[in-house]
Amino acid sequence: MKISLNWLRDYVALDASHDEISRAITFLGFEVEQIIRTGAPTLAHVVVGEVLVRDKHPNADKLSVCTVNLGDTLGVKTIVCGAQNYQVGDRVPVALPGAILPGNFEIKQSKIRGQSSDGMLCSAKELGISEDAAGLLILADRPALGAPINAVLPPGDTVFDIEITPNRPDALSHLGIARELAAWFKLPLLYPQETFRGALPLDEPARPDLLRSVRVDSPEDCPLYTAHIISGIKIGPSPAWLQERLTAVGLRPINNVVDVGNYVMLETGQPLHAFDARKLGGAQIVVRRAVAGEKLTTLDGKERVLTPHMLVIADAAQPVVIAGIMGGVDSGVSPDTTDLVLECAFFKRQSIRATGKRLGLTSDSAYRYERGVDVHGSLEAAYRAIDLILATAGGKVVGPAFRVGSDVPWQREIIVTHDYITEKLGFDIPAADMRAAFEALEFTITREEPTVHPARGPAWTVGIPSWRDDLDRPIDLVEEVLRLYGTDKIPAAVVSSPGLVGDDDPIVRFNRRVTDYLVGHDFNECVTYTLRPAQEIAAWVSATAAQELALANPFVEDQSHLRPTLITGLLESLKLNQSRGVAATHLCETGRIFIERNGQNVECAAVGFIIAEPVAQRSWLKREPVDFYAAKHHVAALAAAAGIDLARQPLASGTGPLWGWQEGHSASAGNIDHGWTARFGLLDLAMVKALGIAGKVYAGSFAILPEKISGETARRRYADFSLLPAALRDIALVVDAATPASEVQKTLAKLARAAAAHAFALEAVSAFDVYTGPGVPAGKKSLAFSLVFRAADRTLTDEEVNGVFQKVQDEVAATTPWQIRK
Amino acid sequence: MQDTLTALVAKAQPEFAALTTRPEFEAAKARYVGPNGELTALMKQMGTVPKDQRPALGKLINETKTRLQSLLDAALAQIETAELRAQLGPAVDPTLPSPDFGPGTYHPLTLVREEMCRILRKVGFTVADGPEVETEYYCFDALNTPADHPARDAQDTFYLPETARFANVAKKTPEEKYLLRTHTSSVQIRTMLKGEPPIRIVSPGRVYRRDTTDATHSANFHQLECLYVDQNVTVRDLKALLDYIFASLLGKDTKTRFRPHYFGYTEPSFEVDLTATHLPKVKKPWIEIGGCGMVDPTVFADVGYDPEVWSGYAFGMGLERLAMLLYGIDDIRYFYQNDVRFLKQFA
Repeated sequence: MKISLNWLRDYVALDASHDEISRAITFLGFEVEQIIRTGAPTLAHVVVGEVLVRDKHPNADKLSVCTVNLGDTLGVKTIVCGAQNYQVGDRVPVALPGAILPGNFEIKQSKIRGQSSDGMLCSAKELGISEDAAGLLILADRPALGAPINAVLPPGDTVFDIEITPNRPDALSHLGIARELAAWFKLPLLYPQETFRGALPLDEPARPDLLRSVRVDSPEDCPLYTAHIISGIKIGPSPAWLQERLTAVGLRPINNVVDVGNYVMLETGQPLHAFDARKLGGAQIVVRRAVAGEKLTTLDGKERVLTPHMLVIADAAQPVVIAGIMGGVDSGVSPDTTDLVLECAFFKRQSIRATGKRLGLTSDSAYRYERGVDVHGSLEAAYRAIDLILATAGGKVVGPAFRVGSDVPWQREIIVTHDYITEKLGFDIPAADMRAAFEALEFTITREEPTVHPARGPAWTVGIPSWRDDLDRPIDLVEEVLRLYGTDKIPAAVVSSPGLVGDDDPIVRFNRRVTDYLVGHDFNECVTYTLRPAQEIAAWVSATAAQELALANPFVEDQSHLRPTLITGLLESLKLNQSRGVAATHLCETGRIFIERNGQNVECAAVGFIIAEPVAQRSWLKREPVDFYAAKHHVAALAAAAGIDLARQPLASGTGPLWGWQEGHSASAGNIDHGWTARFGLLDLAMVKALGIAGKVYAGSFAILPEKISGETARRRYADFSLLPAALRDIALVVDAATPASEVQKTLAKLARAAAAHAFALEAVSAFDVYTGPGVPAGKKSLAFSLVFRAADRTLTDEEVNGVFQKVQDEVAATTPWQIRK
Repeated sequence: MQDTLTALVAKAQPEFAALTTRPEFEAAKARYVGPNGELTALMKQMGTVPKDQRPALGKLINETKTRLQSLLDAALAQIETAELRAQLGPAVDPTLPSPDFGPGTYHPLTLVREEMCRILRKVGFTVADGPEVETEYYCFDALNTPADHPARDAQDTFYLPETARFANVAKKTPEEKYLLRTHTSSVQIRTMLKGEPPIRIVSPGRVYRRDTTDATHSANFHQLECLYVDQNVTVRDLKALLDYIFASLLGKDTKTRFRPHYFGYTEPSFEVDLTATHLPKVKKPWIEIGGCGMVDPTVFADVGYDPEVWSGYAFGMGLERLAMLLYGIDDIRYFYQNDVRFLKQFA
């Protein structure tokens, strides 16, 4: 909110500089977002002068040499000037040597292009009054020659734009901020003294014709409602001082009554509302919930349809105000209003907040009620407003006055000890200073007692004022003491560094491990957005996922869903790089993804990568293109980081509804129902092309439920290995083209193990050739494997190995559909 | 005989020297010292030599054999050298660039996060983690943020529909809604509920605000928070930690200051400013960098820690903001575009 310094000075005699005041506000706990200066700053050695002669500068086309009369005392000066907007006879501000203009610009006796100059004729901008730098500030009304410029210019003001934290509704007013500053600068706080104190005049008859009754049907929303009648007022413009105040803090003056309402709200924080008494049907006020379907056109010109959740002020017939938020167009004060009903009420913050939210409507009044108004200050504010209305609009207070509900007597005391505060702060502030801080903030010390250990300072019973509802525990008072003591005085200390009490979370270690791996393999680590568009998820995953992963309240359409994969984000980054002509081939990311399974979602830790062809980049040396098995290799390494051996897992080849992955060129392993899932291979060529990405893209992803990453791995045991030579035998089999190599490999391993029995070990069965072409029938392929045998205790002889190998071949011939290729 | 042997060596010498391949070598070797070779033939004539001449001749033959062998060895060495040279091809131009892509790079947010975690680990903090889909309890209720608090507005927080179900994010009550966490403070609550004090954790992670994306705002961004729970933790300890962190990160001359502020889950609360005039693009004397405070007793009571016994502090900051400050980056969107020219600048 905007706080005017001139206004503050009504309540506290601040003579500190703007910077000091701004710093005080900051360290009291309110952020100063902006300091706005209006009017002229205090300027010494700047006086009124009249241009007597204006000659062209002998050495410069655009400059003039002026003779300026500064009156009898200061005499006549010669001043060089570059402005064009003035004439001989004009009176203008003259800065003389010694003057310091805004921006720390010091005026000196000088020579300009060989012509001596005794000072400077000033523009409004040079004086810091406004941004107008178009020419000299021509002074109206011919002020006295030689008069100090501040005596001529309207006095300036400084406005602090302050952010008030939600716990401090008491500071949403000039008095509130003045109270804080008075405490900071140790100055007395002067409250406005009201003349009207609630006593109705005995000589004026009551006017029930203006307001006959006030009824509160919804006391849970409105614990206190007061109304006063002021009769015989005259609506007109506010006096200049009042208009100046409001203008300074950004409000537009309307008329005397409305302006007083705003003024008192900005002074005390208590919102007020004035009705034209003659517009209140039945001379009644009813504070009630709206009836469904009731309508009200608010002051902003919009018709509002009300619901039974909303609190309204109604007359006998209909709502006239949305309580605490905004008045209706028909019941407010107009130029011909002569009789007022002044409302000063306390509405519950929850009620105002809920209504404002439903209507999408807020106001200065609603803002204060939402944060909490001090019900115990309501009447004071009403009296203050009445004083000011009588002073600016005339009229008389007449009966009856209404007061429905009550302000429950306020009493709150917190017992706090010097010792407790010191213990929380970690350093000592003298007890006297603590006590002084409480008193400066108008807390009452109702009792001070020594504690059990007298050396450790007293215990205070601190009475909390009604406007500080945010304070109700001893810890809250620690902050108050520290605020006023100054957080800049917290002494330095060595950070305490005890031993670790745990280790980094297993997910964190997993992420580090896979990122290290991928970066070590030349990937650029990326970070992409979690929120993705619906159609992308429908296209790449499933329609169900697009339904289940939707946010309830997305902010923009293309960020409406939780991502089920990291791949699409990486593709978007790839596309961006390609479109900018930047070489990007290896991109990776770690992060959370969200997988939908049977209408239920799980949050997974995931790592993904893409490898794209370097389409636009030419190189003097060509490299082998990346293939499926590179992606498989990387995914196996990522799975290993989570303790999963991909080689031991069944793979599903990429057929069926694996949207986004190229059929026949991709594969998957695992199942998130069992804790993890992996997918790798070529991305669907058509879908990648549709994204506008050139070239083939291989990708891999691994996702695991966070709770499945244990971080605990069983300690490995050393396995003995033979130092003796191995015996190798090769076998090639003709099998169906669709037969997976792993099936053949497993069968061979089983047969070879059986054949060698306990005599010696089969060490490995590894594929070394895959062949189709002449010599192999159509629809078949030849797979060649090398069988490695080894014994722990001897060098194997050809005879024993041949015997085993023969058995293997016999078994293959007898038990499998495969032909041994000779 | 002697002359014959000498002539043999003389004939072999240029022949062997001219050998360039292994087959030629093997053939030449066979011609001289193989079973049908010329020297072998001469050796077979030994029997016809008078007995008294045999020792001398034998010596001579041996010498010739040795001589031929050494000539053969030299020839073989020469062939091997030539073979290796043939593997080489022409000399490389070391000034040509490698066609290989790389090296890999860590994202600047990772670099900043890891640096902060290392700094904090030195003083006893370990890294904690938690879900990004949270419930109202962990994100708000347990952090002393009441139901009508503006932070909980659907205007500021992303919610999941009431029908949404997350199998591995448990709700505290059936009525509460799932949401995307607005801060990583939810990890503090989970950590406190799961373990016993003392606790010293740092929780970096992705958070979400319903905000317009522009140069300084992003629908998701990253935070890093510290939580310290022990006995007799003081405001002064908190200030000491902040001083330590930023002196470690930015140099010894870096100063921090606390401005009193308000957060529901700490009391007292502060905003933290630091001096960083030596950093690129920093013009103001004080830069706001994060928020902190002493853990509010309400929060302790809510997780079942006795506020009379345990005290603690919490500190949080935005990682993007820190990275922008450290590297002089002026648009938060660069972190999410992943232009490789950007990514390569920080490794």
